Amino acid sequence: MMNHFVVLAVLLPLRTCYTTYSQQESIVFPVKYLNISKDLALQQLLVEWDVGKSAHDAKLAMSFEIQVRRIDETTTVWTEFHNVTLDKSGKPLHWIWNSDLPLECMSHLVRIRSKAEASKIWSQWSPWETVLGLDTSNNSRPQIFPNEKIVEEGSDITLCCIGREGQIIKEFFLVPAVHVFNRTNSQVGLLTVKNVAHQGAPHITVYCRESCNEEQCYDHAVFFVGKPPDTPSDFSCQTQDMRIVTCTWSQGGDTYLYGRHSPKYTLSEEFSQKMVPCTVSCSDQCSCSWDIGQQRIYNITVTVENPLGKKTATDVFDVTHRTLQSCVNGRKQLHSKVYPAAPFQLWEESTDTEITLYWKHQNKGIELFCQTEVLQPDGKVELHNCSDTHVRYASMTLGGLQPYTEYTARVHCGAAKHFWRWSEWSEARTIRTKEATPSGKLDIWREITSVLGGRNVTLFWKQTPSFRANGKNISYEVTWEKVEDGSKPESVSFSSVCNSTRISIDNHSYRISIMAKNNVNYSLPSVLIIPRATGARELKEEQVNGTDDGIFISWEPKHIYDNYIIDWCNYPMLQPCDLQWKRFGPNTSSALINSAAFVPGVRYNFHIYGSVANRASLLEKKTGYLRELPPLHDPTVEKVELTFNAVTLSWDSYPTNESQSGFVRGYNVYVSPIQEDCSLKGSKKHVLPDDSVLCKYTIENPEEKRYTVKHLLPNTKYKLVVKAYTGGGETPIVNFIYIDTPFNSNMLYLLVLLVIVPALVAAICRWKMKWLKECCCPVIPSPNKSKVLSFKEYKIGSGKVLKISDCIPDMLAVDNKAEAQKLHPWSQLSSAPTEDKIDGPSSSWIYPNESEERDFTPTPTPQTHIWFENFAYSSHLGVESEPETLEASKPELSVVLYQPHYYFDIFNEDAASTPRETAGRKSSLRYISQTDVHCLGRGL
Amino acid sequence: MPQRPLPPSSSSPAVTKGLFILWAVPGQGGRPLQPPTLQQIQALVRHMAEDAQELFAFYEEDQRLAINHLCRTNRPPEWLRGPVMGPGGLRGLRGTMARMAQVLQDITRHQRDLNPPGAEILRRLASTHLKVRGLLSNLEGLFPAPSLPPGRWAPPGPTAPTKVFRQKLEGCRILWSYARFMAKLSTQLEARSRREKRRSRRGSRPPARS
Repeated sequence: MMNHFVVLAVLLPLRTCYTTYSQQESIVFPVKYLNISKDLALQQLLVEWDVGKSAHDAKLAMSFEIQVRRIDETTTVWTEFHNVTLDKSGKPLHWIWNSDLPLECMSHLVRIRSKAEASKIWSQWSPWETVLGLDTSNNSRPQIFPNEKIVEEGSDITLCCIGREGQIIKEFFLVPAVHVFNRTNSQVGLLTVKNVAHQGAPHITVYCRESCNEEQCYDHAVFFVGKPPDTPSDFSCQTQDMRIVTCTWSQGGDTYLYGRHSPKYTLSEEFSQKMVPCTVSCSDQCSCSWDIGQQRIYNITVTVENPLGKKTATDVFDVTHRTLQSCVNGRKQLHSKVYPAAPFQLWEESTDTEITLYWKHQNKGIELFCQTEVLQPDGKVELHNCSDTHVRYASMTLGGLQPYTEYTARVHCGAAKHFWRWSEWSEARTIRTKEATPSGKLDIWREITSVLGGRNVTLFWKQTPSFRANGKNISYEVTWEKVEDGSKPESVSFSSVCNSTRISIDNHSYRISIMAKNNVNYSLPSVLIIPRATGARELKEEQVNGTDDGIFISWEPKHIYDNYIIDWCNYPMLQPCDLQWKRFGPNTSSALINSAAFVPGVRYNFHIYGSVANRASLLEKKTGYLRELPPLHDPTVEKVELTFNAVTLSWDSYPTNESQSGFVRGYNVYVSPIQEDCSLKGSKKHVLPDDSVLCKYTIENPEEKRYTVKHLLPNTKYKLVVKAYTGGGETPIVNFIYIDTPFNSNMLYLLVLLVIVPALVAAICRWKMKWLKECCCPVIPSPNKSKVLSFKEYKIGSGKVLKISDCIPDMLAVDNKAEAQKLHPWSQLSSAPTEDKIDGPSSSWIYPNESEERDFTPTPTPQTHIWFENFAYSSHLGVESEPETLEASKPELSVVLYQPHYYFDIFNEDAASTPRETAGRKSSLRYISQTDVHCLGRGL
Repeated sequence: MPQRPLPPSSSSPAVTKGLFILWAVPGQGGRPLQPPTLQQIQALVRHMAEDAQELFAFYEEDQRLAINHLCRTNRPPEWLRGPVMGPGGLRGLRGTMARMAQVLQDITRHQRDLNPPGAEILRRLASTHLKVRGLLSNLEGLFPAPSLPPGRWAPPGPTAPTKVFRQKLEGCRILWSYARFMAKLSTQLEARSRREKRRSRRGSRPPARS
């Protein structure tokens, strides 16, 4: 029993504890009051709610879940848990929600539920509480929200256009156009721009239209895209005179917001908790000034503000101590704040090498450290420091200056103690130092020309880099005297504009000196010794080559000379030319001579002198071009000698001297037939830009000005040109000379001989046929009538006799009397036996006339006859066998039968001989030459 | 020194603008204050008509108001409606120009909120404002009335719309109406000049001033 009681005693408290705990877990405090309002300016929903008093009394820690929804959206747009510990005051709870969509655009709904932190159970949701948008109101026209909002660049903006009741938003867009997410075709149009950018336009215009076109169907709005202001940079305040403080700063970049939206600057002072009474003005920099008054310590804050933000910068300083803290955006630095006024009223005293500069300053009572800036004539700037300040003025002496030289000086100062910054520069002052004796020596040179009885010496002088005139009125004095006899020197003065003169001296040695003179004194003299006149030594001129940097001259150095001089003329064509010279040290043996006056294509002549003890001797001569150019003119071909196959060209007057724009190295002769490309023997091919080919002959000696082009074709037209070439090449071929080769006369003669003469003879023969026939070949048997073939020297009676000794037997006719009698029955009529013989230039023929053999019947009379055949006669036989001719000869034939029977070619015996003849020849041989035959024949 | 009148047919912009400079500000270049001639006013009006058209075209484009020809209203403000030259001739133009000068100042002020200093629209507005003031000055020289009923052409109170877009639109509409007004005025002056020349040729002496 006792044990049972103990168990109950233990379990009862446990149950009590459990019950209490379970009750706490299940306690809920639902939202009993919920109110929503909107702040349209800030576009915020203001939510106010409360729970039961018991919760406040219990000071419960509670959680609230708050949901926001829009009327046309089914999902919740925002959910947030809000934790709060209640107090006994019983004040309602508040929560603010910033809407990204203008609250005018549509109705928003809010509900809340609660839970005690100790509880696990949420209360029931409160009913949705609505705050109405303007979409529910009765508008007279569409409305765009927000209007004239200022948006920071890079942020997002959502706009809506609320149409009238029953209307649909048809168009809703931006100008200038930007990419947007929009939703229309309902009473409320929505448009979202992400990451808005300033597009160069001062603002963006929004257009909205319902589905109608009347004026009340439209609405327009604008919004601005800008940037918050930059923090004022370089903010600092200073005083120059301990009376006025001026703060300056840089205003930063463009905010794209102008007019009433532009950044506004205000200055406030923290110690006095007052706004600084100054007016801000901004151009390149912003500044604001005010009287110091009695205050010595300042904590100045400049605030810049525009609708998108606010920035500040602070400067703290104490004008009494001058060294103060400066604080810009939290960074502290130490600065002196005295900014002295610029020095003023500068004046000076000067000698030939020193200037003492004086000035005044306003900052009395402040120890200053000053700096003088001296601008040298060569543009260099020198700074000289000075801490020597007097009560009334300050001064500084600048030494080591050049005489008679202008210097420009100005001064600025800073606080000597706790220096912070320099003052503005004083006005610059230009000061000229006093004159002094000319320093350095003149560089002098000469040109000597021999004249009758003496020499003309042209003297030149120029100022060396080390020479300084040191004065205003510079002049030159030239003095010359004989070296040998110490005669009285002569001298002449020249003004500063002169740099040369000519003097005449005899053939003795002279000493010439030139000095510069200014208002103070003479410079040291420069001396030249003109040696005694001697015979001029001819030196060969050597060609030199130019480079891009000048003309390179080298010479053979000799140890005896203490310097070398090269002279030349920049303009060689000028008379007298402008002589230039340059000196070189004893160890120099080459130089690159250049001048701005040097131009390509002009020949420059250089003389190299060695000088010792002011005596100069000509060592070498050089000539060359900066760059050789092609010749200006082509050779003029003055003489052309033409044959049928060659042409000789000459251009003797072509100059090869300094008038040329380069050294003439030779000539090229170009030849080509007009109608075709050239391929003459011994030439090179040269192709023109038009692809025509010329023959090219090169003459490498510039003095050889004659050339013969051979192997031309007769009766052909050729074009030719002669071009000179230099180291710069030759000019393009433009003009040609033209020649026509004549006919080959030998060919003409041959033609005449071979064609015309025979033709003429033939024509004459034809014309005088009858006469010729009678003359040359009279009708047989009166051949002796031939005037051509008759030999008058030997006549026997009416016949012609040729001496045997004159006849050279070259043909042999063989006949047998018996056979002849047998074969030639008509030969009985012959009075004397003969042999016939024909001798031609190439062949002789003796032949039988078989037809006639058939016509004549042989007679039995055994009589031997020898017949002769005349070549001319027989050759005409065929021609003469015309009917009438034959007719005419018939009577004679009837009396004397003249008919050759057999003809033998003695050179071709086999061919011509018949068996009958062969037998006769063996028995009886008689050798008769052709001539003999004639002689003999005519003797018959 | 009397000014040489411009030939009526002269339309060279350079010449017109050059003369305008001389006329626009009374006493410019040490010139004594003398009443301008009608020919001078006519040339100035012709130049201002061209300038007004150019200003409107630039403003409409610059302000992105060319959509749907929002500005080109057929209902100009009452003070810019015709008849341009009423029974009093050019005398009635003074009030219009005084009002226009005030409106141009308002437009300029609005535009300063929208544009950086030195913007082209500001430069053009200032130039046109100067011309309007120049014409006004010339009219005052031409018609030296001792006093005009106060408030007759004094600018009205600030009734301008406050919203930026409405301001832009109002300004644009006024510039449109002003351009048309000046064009009509120029045409009427030209016609009048021709009439007077014809009358002069017929031997009748033209009136010195309207």
